[in-house]
Amino acid sequence: MWTRKASLMVTSGISLILIGMMISNFQLMIVGLTFISFLAINGWVSGHSELEVTRTINGTQTNAINVYKGDDVVVELTVTNNSYRRTQQLEVFDNVPHEMKMRTGINQMRMNLGPGQTARIKYRVRCPLRGHYTIGPISVRYRNAFNLYVNDSQIEDRTDVTVFPQVREIEEALLRSDVPKMYTGATTLKTPGQGMEFYSLREYLPGDAFRSINWKAYAKTGELMVNEKTRDAVTDVFIFLDTRDVSRIGTVLKNPLEMGTVAAASVSTYFIRRRDSVALVTYGEKMEYLPPETGDKQDYKVLSRLAAVEAKGSMPLQAVTNAMSARMSRGSPVFIISSLEGDGTTLPAIRHLAGKGHEVIVLSPSSIDLERLVSRIPRMSYEVLKLERQNRLTAISGYGAKVIDWMPDVELSQALLQVRSV
Amino acid sequence: MAMELVPESQTLHIPKLRRRWQVLVLQLISTASLLLMMKRMNSVFGSCTDQFIADSGGPESTYWCPAYEHTRGLRYWTDSDSIGLFLPDFVHGLADLSGNTLSGDATFVAPVLLCAVVTAIWVYILHQSEKIQIWINRLISLGFVGWMMLPFLLSWIYAMVVSGPHLPFGHENPAFNHIDHLWDPFMFIFEMIFLGIVFAPILAGLMGIWGLSKRMITWAVGYFLMVVGIHAMLTFEGITDAVDVGLQPLPAQIGDATLYGGLVSPLSLTLISIAILIIIFMESGLAVISHLEYAAMLPEEAKRNPEYVTQFRNVMNSHIVHMVSITAVVALTTAIALEFDDFLISLVGLLEGSQWSGQVRESLELQLTYGKVISAGLFLLVVAGMRFVLPWQRVTGIIETGMSRIRSAD
Repeated sequence: MWTRKASLMVTSGISLILIGMMISNFQLMIVGLTFISFLAINGWVSGHSELEVTRTINGTQTNAINVYKGDDVVVELTVTNNSYRRTQQLEVFDNVPHEMKMRTGINQMRMNLGPGQTARIKYRVRCPLRGHYTIGPISVRYRNAFNLYVNDSQIEDRTDVTVFPQVREIEEALLRSDVPKMYTGATTLKTPGQGMEFYSLREYLPGDAFRSINWKAYAKTGELMVNEKTRDAVTDVFIFLDTRDVSRIGTVLKNPLEMGTVAAASVSTYFIRRRDSVALVTYGEKMEYLPPETGDKQDYKVLSRLAAVEAKGSMPLQAVTNAMSARMSRGSPVFIISSLEGDGTTLPAIRHLAGKGHEVIVLSPSSIDLERLVSRIPRMSYEVLKLERQNRLTAISGYGAKVIDWMPDVELSQALLQVRSV
Repeated sequence: MAMELVPESQTLHIPKLRRRWQVLVLQLISTASLLLMMKRMNSVFGSCTDQFIADSGGPESTYWCPAYEHTRGLRYWTDSDSIGLFLPDFVHGLADLSGNTLSGDATFVAPVLLCAVVTAIWVYILHQSEKIQIWINRLISLGFVGWMMLPFLLSWIYAMVVSGPHLPFGHENPAFNHIDHLWDPFMFIFEMIFLGIVFAPILAGLMGIWGLSKRMITWAVGYFLMVVGIHAMLTFEGITDAVDVGLQPLPAQIGDATLYGGLVSPLSLTLISIAILIIIFMESGLAVISHLEYAAMLPEEAKRNPEYVTQFRNVMNSHIVHMVSITAVVALTTAIALEFDDFLISLVGLLEGSQWSGQVRESLELQLTYGKVISAGLFLLVVAGMRFVLPWQRVTGIIETGMSRIRSAD
């Protein structure tokens, strides 16, 4: 593609030739011809040779990487010219999502690689916002030495980056707080199943895992015997995360949704580490449900889901609890993470859950205080709003729920210590 | 992110880059082409017609035509009206320090030096803080206004206090013509205008090259093209029939190719050299700015990163190679293009006898200018199309690979 400079040059070249011809002036004609000649000769040097580009993230060549919010990612692009010709002047630019912040280095380089030469672009970006992002593709702009011709192309090398919400250490806080201590992690039941402890020996049946064969028993009895394990019983922990539109109140980095995702990730990881099962329910534009499971895979699923949530919609809590009611095991603890703003069904929903024997813990980021971060609220209005909120929280705790009024400047572990109940 | 760093002297910081040989070479090439262009243009457009000189009373008399030359106008002014110039003659390039009259290229030395000094001061000021720059600007502006107005106003007010109210002009007693105090500043401005006609693009060009201003470089190129255009207009036969300002027109014929084995005619060579110098001046000046802009945009770590330093060096070296090779090929191509009509005539001559060949030959010879330019255009069309035929990048790549293998084998 011609640049503006080349277009100007060809226009002025032709104009000078024509004017020179009109008034029979050789100087104008020759200047015009030289301009055109300059463009024609430069046209010989066009395009760039084939490039081989590889991207490594944190030292590993991968197509996908998971990091936690606030983590740094080191990206290294290796550009190699494997052809027998020079690349000419290239501007290589690695497309980085604008949500990521460049910490050191830069994601572009102007280069001119000779045959077989390699250049490395190394930079570090910070991921301050959770979500699913893509680094790449790589934009390559060939530019003629005199900036007459430009050719943009892309190398389809992409790396997906999933930024999980931060996971806080809350073990100590949960032990010290007034949160019910019924979650004991995995406890063994005296029934056979998938677990860790030995239950009994039985005869081998087709389909049994080879590694479960008890070779000593086989040596003694001469028959194939397998070890049976006891079933681990776990607590199902339900986490309800409010992702309604109102949860975007505050700044991009500090709002009920961001605080909520951190809390949900921390609580979920804590219980999964204790081998409990965790279910995640997000509600906003629609309800999304992740059934209770345990293990690293579930932890990854929960974090991935939390990475993707956006503040949208206005689904009431009661609609969610009604829909979930049949799927929740009796007495399982429920964490509700919500600012409790703009939803008149909060009280009946919590009353319904408490009535069904669930231990309900409400973790409520204070949206009034978050709003104060971005706009000035008159003192009187603030006091009134705050009072209204306090009344709402008191009413909720009146139904036996543990309520945590989470202020923006308070760490999650500190907030968990403030559990309030009637 | 541990990263090996280059020595302090090789980083991509602007003060260091300004001392890098590639940058200096490009700036010196640009400066040399600017000065050579002025010299060439002066030799082509800086003379008046013999008829005009004769009509003005011969070479010894006072005459002036608006040619691309500064001394003739200043001499015409001082000689005809006996007006003294404000600046000394050696600053104008009219005479040397001993007072001997200068002529030819020697007249350019002092004004060009003055331009260089002004450029150096300007670049120095640019390196100062914004506050200092504002103060210097204010000081110069206020100083000039003060120099213009204060002597006039003070002498007039003092005279009115002593001798009563009066106008500052039209008196027989020169002591009451206070307006004469304005004469020196105005003379200074007029002299600057006279010098500026020839040296403004030099000053702008130097400021552009060394002060890293794209605007000034393009302005200088535009000015040179404007001079060529105005000269072409004022020497066009249709215009000279009505108003003849005495400018020497270019020959109507380009002449026979007698130089470099019949490649180019003397006039072609001169005119092509002006065009090539314009391109070299513009491209090398702008290249430095463009590459330094890129370096300035880089963050601190990248400026010290060996990869960036190596690639910057690669880009600069490659630019110099392109500058030399491509402008040489452009000059050669333009020269061949201008003689392409001769080649076509010779080719048609081989087909002597047919009616068609006769017609083509006649049209090429009779049309002269048109035939030459159209055939040159055809040639350039062929040259432009050669990009699809000539794999020269591959050829140079293979040569480069071979050379690097030989070097590594040593």
